[in-house]
Amino acid sequence: MDHSFLHGKKLLLVDDEPELLKMVTAILMDEGFQRLVTAANMKDGVAAAKTEKPDLAILDVCLPDGDGFSLMEQIRAWTDVPVIFLTARDEAADKLAGLGLGADDYIGKPFLPQEFLLRIYAVLRRCYKEDTPILKLDGCTVDFSRAEVDKGGEILPLTAMEHRLLETLAGNEGRIVTVDTLCEALWGDNPFGYENSLNAHVRRIREKIEADPSKPVSLLTVKGLGYKLLARK
Amino acid sequence: MKAFGKYVSKYLLSFFMFALALLLVNILAFAFTFGGIVFLEYGTASPANMLEVMAADLSASGISEERSQELSGHHIWAMLLDASGNCEWSVFLPEEIPTQYTIQDVAVFSKGYLQDYPVFVRNMDDSLLVLGYPKDSFMKLTGNYLPIRLVRIFPLFVTGTLAIDILLLFLVYYFSKRRISKNTEPIMTSIKTLSAGKPVNLSIQGELSEIADSVNQASQVLSRQNQARANWISGVSHDIRTPLSMIMGYAGRIATDTAASGNIRQEAEIIRAQSAKIKDLVQDLNLVSQLEYEMQPIHKEPVRMSKLLRSYAVDLLNAGIPEKYSLETEISEGAETAVIECDARLISRAINNLVQNSICHNPQGCTISLRLDCSDSVVSLTVADNGAGLSAEKLLELKEKPHYIESTDERLDLRHGLGLLLVQQITEAHDGEFQIESVAAYGCRVSLKFSPAT
Repeated sequence: MDHSFLHGKKLLLVDDEPELLKMVTAILMDEGFQRLVTAANMKDGVAAAKTEKPDLAILDVCLPDGDGFSLMEQIRAWTDVPVIFLTARDEAADKLAGLGLGADDYIGKPFLPQEFLLRIYAVLRRCYKEDTPILKLDGCTVDFSRAEVDKGGEILPLTAMEHRLLETLAGNEGRIVTVDTLCEALWGDNPFGYENSLNAHVRRIREKIEADPSKPVSLLTVKGLGYKLLARK
Repeated sequence: MKAFGKYVSKYLLSFFMFALALLLVNILAFAFTFGGIVFLEYGTASPANMLEVMAADLSASGISEERSQELSGHHIWAMLLDASGNCEWSVFLPEEIPTQYTIQDVAVFSKGYLQDYPVFVRNMDDSLLVLGYPKDSFMKLTGNYLPIRLVRIFPLFVTGTLAIDILLLFLVYYFSKRRISKNTEPIMTSIKTLSAGKPVNLSIQGELSEIADSVNQASQVLSRQNQARANWISGVSHDIRTPLSMIMGYAGRIATDTAASGNIRQEAEIIRAQSAKIKDLVQDLNLVSQLEYEMQPIHKEPVRMSKLLRSYAVDLLNAGIPEKYSLETEISEGAETAVIECDARLISRAINNLVQNSICHNPQGCTISLRLDCSDSVVSLTVADNGAGLSAEKLLELKEKPHYIESTDERLDLRHGLGLLLVQQITEAHDGEFQIESVAAYGCRVSLKFSPAT
């Protein structure tokens, strides 16, 4: 999936380890992010958040003059900027505390560059939608803003449910999404017994986006688990 | 507790042996103290013997010189009274002793004393032989009669008293034993808990409170040591994470750097993969130690297992596994709604360790299947593969050998992987059951069984 529209976002990185900061910066620069701001402690972090107005803050939990949780609270006092925690502390407790405070995600050290980038993209995509969200599939294009499928010139409208379902799948393009996640996206928390309805919606979407709905190439079934949407190569 | 009861019973036996020995010692002491006197007083100089000897020696002219000397040697006087109370003959008779007696006098002195001299008499056909022993040499019982009833019940009384004494002794013994047991039982239980490495807190009043305090102190020391060990492991694993991030980060960058040569990229990929192994190891080690010393709070909540299993499988597939491995997920009919009270993160961790084991031990590739079944009383989660499997010996080894974290010797060959230990610990923490089966060349199957949430 094309993430390049997110590369203009400004990222704030706060970590007391200069070496790690350097590496993370390099990984992000390689990926195409150009607007990066770094800070080594809480005081500088708050100041940078104020002056630079980042679009995403990546905070270390352990800082020399405080912890990342209180840093987030201070930043959140005046802005709703999404926050990702980066920490070497033991996972469970911190994870709960972090997400309970309203953090958007949490990455435990050590991490792989790919995993790190994926998490950042996921949060950015959730918070900052593409201006002209057009999904290019094998036999058609999907215009989410107009809820339409353009299949070789033929315009097919999407229902609200189909739109939401396709959007959820597109947000995880190339990755399997479980039936549980899809049902939750359509019917809210703890849905149960909606698998047949989900199948029906998938069937109707296939009729709109696939050249041959009985042999799908874009919206694939992963047996026993869920579905996967593949974009045009 | 059984051992303690046995100990007390053993003590009972020695208690009775001691009582018996005490009785014997008493008899011996009595014999030693009174033996001399008894022998002396009931020997040749005893009244009965002396009367016998004198009666045999007595003739019309009195007693022989030899007998007379014998009497004088013991300061005994003698006289012979005729039928009318007159003294026929006497020897060493003190002055204050009269020589004429009425029948009343005889009746009185024959039972007791004559002028404070203990006297003993013997009937000699038509006369009476009287021996007078020195004053204060014998005590005579003047009231020498007992009611026949008393004599008859006396043996009964003695045996009855003895029986009641023994019964009382036993009751006192029994209740004291019960009290000791009652007081020591919590201590025993605590020591048992303590020996299993778990902390205890005893509160006992009374004379055993000191022991309880000692046990509590030992428990605190143990807890502190466990805490220190868990903290140490968590500290090391914390400190290793940041440097490991850099190794993984840079290795990952080099591995995907198109400017680097293929060889270098391959080597970087190896560094990255091995670092990932260290990462898993560090996480497992930390988690095992947290669970082992119960430092890790387990956040149990109702979790739909089918959802958890699908979510795990999808995460694994999305992260990407090599082509040679395939993953199958099957949720049996009826298991779709199965819910257990668990810490979802830990259960996922256990599943992941099992799947990673299958991947690790089958470098040639295999099919890994995740399966969820449910009956009324059991939710069973199975991770199986069709790979190389384990021989019967290997399987036995795996089941019996301790992990190094639990092992107390230095032999590395007697230890197996941390991954499986963690799975076992997570299962235990959820009151579940862990089962491993394997046949060489047919693969390996591990089942985790849990009770469904009500």
